[in-house]
Amino acid sequence: MGKNLEELFILPRQLVDEETKSVVVLVRQWAEKEILSKRMEYRENYSTLFVEARKKLHLTIGLQWLTLPEEYGGFGWDTHTNAPGITGVLSEIGRADAAIGVLLAMKYALFATIAMTHNLNKKLCGTLSPLYVSDEIKNPVLILPGPGRAGQETPLFLGRSIGAEAKATKGGYTISGTDLRPLSGGSMADLFCVVCAGKKGTPCLAMVPGDAQGIRRGPSIKTTGLNACENAEITFDAVAIPKENVIDRDGVVEELYTWLNLLLGAVSIGAGANFFEILADWSETRVIKGGITLKENPLCASVLADVAEETALAKILLFDLAHLLSRPDHWDSNGRRAFTFSEMIGSRVQQAVMRAINRGLELMGSAGYAKEWHAEKHWRDIKTIQSLLCGVGAEAPVKMDTARFFYNCTEI
Amino acid sequence: MKHFNDFSRPEEYISPFDRHFRNVIRKHLEETVMPFRRQYDEDWKDHHLIEPAFDKLMGELGLQKSLFPQEYGGWGLAQSDYIFRMGYMLSEELGRADTGMAVALCVTFWPLLVIMIDPFVNERLIKEFAPMFCNTKKAVFAANAMTEPQGGSDIENLGLLGGKTIRTTARLDGDEWVINGHKLWPTNSGGVAKLFGVPCTTKPGSNDPDDFAFIFVPADLPGVTQGGAYEKAGMAADKNGDIWFEDVRVPSWYRAHGPGDDAKAFYQLISFGQMASCAFLTGAMMNLYERLYEFVSTRTYNNRPLKENDAIAGIIGRIAGDIDICRILGHEAAMIGDRRNKPYGKPLVSEDVVGRIRNIKDFVSDRAVENFGKAMDVLGAYGADRDWDIEKHWRDIKIIQLWMGGKQLCQMEAARYFFNCETL
Ligand SMILES: Cc1cc2nc3c(=O)[nH]c(=O)nc-3n(C[C@H](O)[C@H](O)[C@H](O)COP(=O)(O)OP(=O)(O)OC[C@H]3O[C@@H](n4cnc5c(N)ncnc54)[C@H](O)[C@@H]3O)c2cc1C
Repeated sequence: MGKNLEELFILPRQLVDEETKSVVVLVRQWAEKEILSKRMEYRENYSTLFVEARKKLHLTIGLQWLTLPEEYGGFGWDTHTNAPGITGVLSEIGRADAAIGVLLAMKYALFATIAMTHNLNKKLCGTLSPLYVSDEIKNPVLILPGPGRAGQETPLFLGRSIGAEAKATKGGYTISGTDLRPLSGGSMADLFCVVCAGKKGTPCLAMVPGDAQGIRRGPSIKTTGLNACENAEITFDAVAIPKENVIDRDGVVEELYTWLNLLLGAVSIGAGANFFEILADWSETRVIKGGITLKENPLCASVLADVAEETALAKILLFDLAHLLSRPDHWDSNGRRAFTFSEMIGSRVQQAVMRAINRGLELMGSAGYAKEWHAEKHWRDIKTIQSLLCGVGAEAPVKMDTARFFYNCTEI
Repeated sequence: MKHFNDFSRPEEYISPFDRHFRNVIRKHLEETVMPFRRQYDEDWKDHHLIEPAFDKLMGELGLQKSLFPQEYGGWGLAQSDYIFRMGYMLSEELGRADTGMAVALCVTFWPLLVIMIDPFVNERLIKEFAPMFCNTKKAVFAANAMTEPQGGSDIENLGLLGGKTIRTTARLDGDEWVINGHKLWPTNSGGVAKLFGVPCTTKPGSNDPDDFAFIFVPADLPGVTQGGAYEKAGMAADKNGDIWFEDVRVPSWYRAHGPGDDAKAFYQLISFGQMASCAFLTGAMMNLYERLYEFVSTRTYNNRPLKENDAIAGIIGRIAGDIDICRILGHEAAMIGDRRNKPYGKPLVSEDVVGRIRNIKDFVSDRAVENFGKAMDVLGAYGADRDWDIEKHWRDIKIIQLWMGGKQLCQMEAARYFFNCETL
């Protein structure tokens, strides 16, 4: 393409400090060396290379511990001010492979609720430490509320059904729930972070180690994209967990969603940026109408402009969200503002990246549809992330949350 | 309860064949294809599952011979005055089950139609190829090999470019054509087709329609080489690959009609393909409705079925409304084709027909791409699941928007037609 993505899609400089830049550069080098330059090999031998590439990223570069406090062996990116940095890192990963990005995004979203300086839960971090202070890759996955089943009343989180229940016992809690759907990676999870209905049905988070007694994993689920994060439905048969594994502070589930919107958005803008590069190469070399370079045709140029516009605006919007999250003094006390903005922006960013890819594919003819060009993989991966983030009912739940915040709706 | 059958189609447009045969085909597909289609993606290379399904549909049920005249063992449909509508019905039912199968089957008709639809009928070639398709219970495929490595759109853009970018050449040597060239992506390539229809040029670089030739090439001739199937985002039941023609010799009378008429007959074929594309899409969308209906009735938001929430109802109402409108438009596209022999119809080889049908296809494709995407979002965390079938259709149908010259060519054709553009 002959142009630098950073020069094309600029960001306000103050959002990215020197430390962030150096980590981003490391991740970019990893992406180029381990994935982008091996795309063909990757296609043929995805599962093996996927594991190898992740090992280098998580363990050699150390991203497994990026957002953990230094006292727990982490890099100490554990404050709100690191939001833009983490966004930058995840978007570099998304540029290479969205599945790797999604697994990491789930991990960082979870840590954001338990291991940041303002909410550091020492006891829980202590209990979970074997899971992340490890020289193996660990996969925490999230189980969020979603669609309920007709005829069954369930506790709700803002209209979405909470399928799992956390019951207090003498020594801790038992977690129960049938056929729950992790966002991704259910088959390979070492830890489940589950939104449960606690006392009186109020939402809370439960950390359920993957090897606990009473967990059943269903057969692996075939999905459109993110194929390397093998997923399965999970049933918890009264799984016993210690007391500290349940977090029931007010607003904790909103906090998880807030970070998830940011972090999955980061993965998607990264994938969108790589799609932009693929399309740019195509439009510079493909000739139509018997002699005109594709990009020099005004109709095609207008589609290319659409793609650039969506890609650029999605990035600006997402980094704006990261900036907002980095300044908690700008939020209201329970984080509802941050939650609403992250949902609005998260949803808009996913739509923008999806639209960019859908439009760009229009120009690529069969090449866009062939696995060889890799464009279609981004298309499948991002659609998967977008649907996941909807939870249920397309954008309707996000609209309801937004209307509640801005208009004080009480009946919806 | 509403049924997917309740989507609109103008009753006056329904052909006699449709009334009798739709249910037979539907039942057949519901038994032989729909229960297995979720496994087709893994079968893209070998077609272990897909091939027997084709044998049943094309060979045993006999669809592959339907175009041929009855005296050669066919059903005589190509000569009926409802060939486009019968194509629509068949494509729609197939599309509901699997658009990959739909395209593989319908493309078999595609090159054959070049020699079978009035006024461009070549009796000798029909007689020559009839046994290949009519005397067997095994599926036999044909392919229409247009696209070349340098681009497919330009070849379809016959109105503007007149075939000047085609690099596959045909040279007359005595009473044989000698074909040289490289095609890629045709449906039923990758070793599937027994017969190719090959658009080529008798004078490279010429945009004179007289130099455009449509020549039939049996796949087993010396000099024909086929590559393996490409791995794609979807449409596993359709194999696509490279075909190389190196000094391939066919009898001179394997050319469809001759100078001038080949280009016209090929133009007809483009409209048939666009019309069938609409039908694949409305069929797939009818299945979308069935699957979505189940999800929104059985899954809840706020502890009420999704369909009973006003905001979600607004989304799914729009989806169903679009399907209804698209189906009417698709039937109109088919009727435009079938009106050709009527006093109030237009010839297939006219800008009216090509422009309008391309326009309808462009519109229906856009609605389909949008609605499948939206439906996946309605399913939320389940949207990307193979088990709900919607994601499979979503992957499959994207290429319908892109093939046959792509979306932009449709837009240009519409602009040329409605605004008399002269330089585009
Ligand atoms: C599943 C499948 C089945 C297929 N079946 C067949 C088949 O049966 N037979 C066959 O021959 N091919 C077939 N193809 C190939 C397909 O029809 C072509 O890929 C398609 O026509 C586009 O050609 P291309 O990919 O070479 O893109 P190009 O021709 O290079 O076009 C790329 C893009 O350029 C733009 N463009 C092109 N022309 C113009 C213009 N005049 N004005 C403005 N923009 C323009 C469009 O955006 C277009 O998408 C199939 C492909 C697939 C994936």
